[in-house]
Amino acid sequence: MTFEQLLQYIFSGLTSGSIYALTALGFTLIYNATGLINFAQGELVMLGGLSAVGLYQAGLPLPVAFLGSLTIVLIVTVLFQQLAIRPLLSRGVLAQVIATVGASLALRTAAMMIFGREALPLPAFSGDTPIRIFGASLNPQTLWVVGSTLLIVLALQLFYRRTLTGKAVRACAVNPLAARLMGVSYSNVVLLSFAVSGAISAAAGVMITPISFMTYSSGALLGLKGFAAAALGGLGNPVGAVVGGVALGILEGLGVGLVSSGYKDAIAFVILLLVLFLRPQGIFGGKAVEQE
Amino acid sequence: MSALLSLKGVRAGYGSIEVLHGLDLGVQAGEIVSIIGVNGSGKSTLLQAVSGVVPLRGGCIELEGERLDTTGVEGIVRRGVVQIPEGRQLFGPLTVEENLELGGYSRRGRRGRHAGGDGRARVGSGPAGAAARLDQVYALFPRLAERRRQAAATLSGGEQQMLALGRALMAEPRLLLLDEPSMGLAPLIVRDIFRVLRELNQQGLTLLLVEQDARTALNLAHRGLVMERGRIVLEDRAEVLLASPDVQSIYFGQGGGRHGRGTRPAGQGGGSA
Repeated sequence: MTFEQLLQYIFSGLTSGSIYALTALGFTLIYNATGLINFAQGELVMLGGLSAVGLYQAGLPLPVAFLGSLTIVLIVTVLFQQLAIRPLLSRGVLAQVIATVGASLALRTAAMMIFGREALPLPAFSGDTPIRIFGASLNPQTLWVVGSTLLIVLALQLFYRRTLTGKAVRACAVNPLAARLMGVSYSNVVLLSFAVSGAISAAAGVMITPISFMTYSSGALLGLKGFAAAALGGLGNPVGAVVGGVALGILEGLGVGLVSSGYKDAIAFVILLLVLFLRPQGIFGGKAVEQE
Repeated sequence: MSALLSLKGVRAGYGSIEVLHGLDLGVQAGEIVSIIGVNGSGKSTLLQAVSGVVPLRGGCIELEGERLDTTGVEGIVRRGVVQIPEGRQLFGPLTVEENLELGGYSRRGRRGRHAGGDGRARVGSGPAGAAARLDQVYALFPRLAERRRQAAATLSGGEQQMLALGRALMAEPRLLLLDEPSMGLAPLIVRDIFRVLRELNQQGLTLLLVEQDARTALNLAHRGLVMERGRIVLEDRAEVLLASPDVQSIYFGQGGGRHGRGTRPAGQGGGSA
């Protein structure tokens, strides 16, 4: 493999890695607030992409369609939390997880009925002319994806490290009872976590659609890979989610180059299995153990 | 004068088990009340009921004559009834300062509670108020100031108890509920902590403690209550309970005897509402 090819695979790995990172962040936010794995996470990404397509085809400019899609998915996520998760809070995590499985099926079916079965495109945010870097060609959309991911991660870090509300969310992840005794409303923290998780997933969906299109059924694979990334980084650790996502994307990209593109999806799952067998706490698992 | 805190016929429990069977209790403003009793007597449940964590099944809890048990956990904290839970329950991975800031969560965007009401001037609202309270806590516990950027989990046991106390003070409590504040601490550190508690009380803070270490708890308190199987079975001035042979034999580990003679039954003790 030439250096140019290597670079090419890394670029493509970075792009999908950013999407996995955002999806993994979505998992992490909800997991930290509730101890819950949201099996509808991938569907939120899918819904983000398809909503943007729908709004764009309805004639809205792309940036407006982007923001509109974020709003739609945020509302869907909040409704889901209020209507399906909240009544099950006293029933334990398993009942809630099953509710998320139900939500994923419902969202997928709803998307199929609204948007059809076709894979739908969005135009790239700033044109399709590839940028040449050291002989490899870089899709401008990749810059959007990577840049926006960095921006989102940075904004989240500022929120969780610098604001009292963000610190209250972290406190709830560590010790919900003690946080309530400080006057933190646990149900508001859960609601906020779902809302932010939904918006981030939607952003991931909108950004990836110009590169790989979106169909009603794309959510399952995106969700599983996001989960693999979260597990790789150490479930519950936002930094781990980002590192896990990018690592997974790059490994996948290199695997496509070195082995075969036919095994692209298998690579993610082999990594997921290896993580679960060998290091179930993930790369940055120390933090998650502290939360027990 | 009406009590600061009063519990009237409070019943509470978990699932099918009722732990508190109609409990009456009054705490006067400025008082230190210690509740002693063995494990499982319902002491912690009592504090959880006051804080709203365990819902009541009967009776009511009032703060200065106003219903407290209908306000919810967050509302109770906002009204100045603040609990330091058993085992301190710090946010381990968060820094000392973050723990303290979260202690002031219930005061954010609000006027200082004591801005005039009870004669003690307190600093006002918002971030400025929070910063001033942070300084007060650091002045009280300089050790915490030295470690403000450290994760709370890395502190020693005594420092963690200081942090738990400082975190509670950030909420500007009028009534501080302490669940086993001496648990797991060396005697010297317990003495330090209790000295600070006494000072805070002299500045006007009302304290309600539950403790297994009866001697330490009664030494601090003005008034003591003995709890058994979800009921108050004894109530008296702390020095009377300290001197009582029954209390000594059961709670000071001097062996032998059953209590029940000679001490006044609940409800007739001094100062009850």
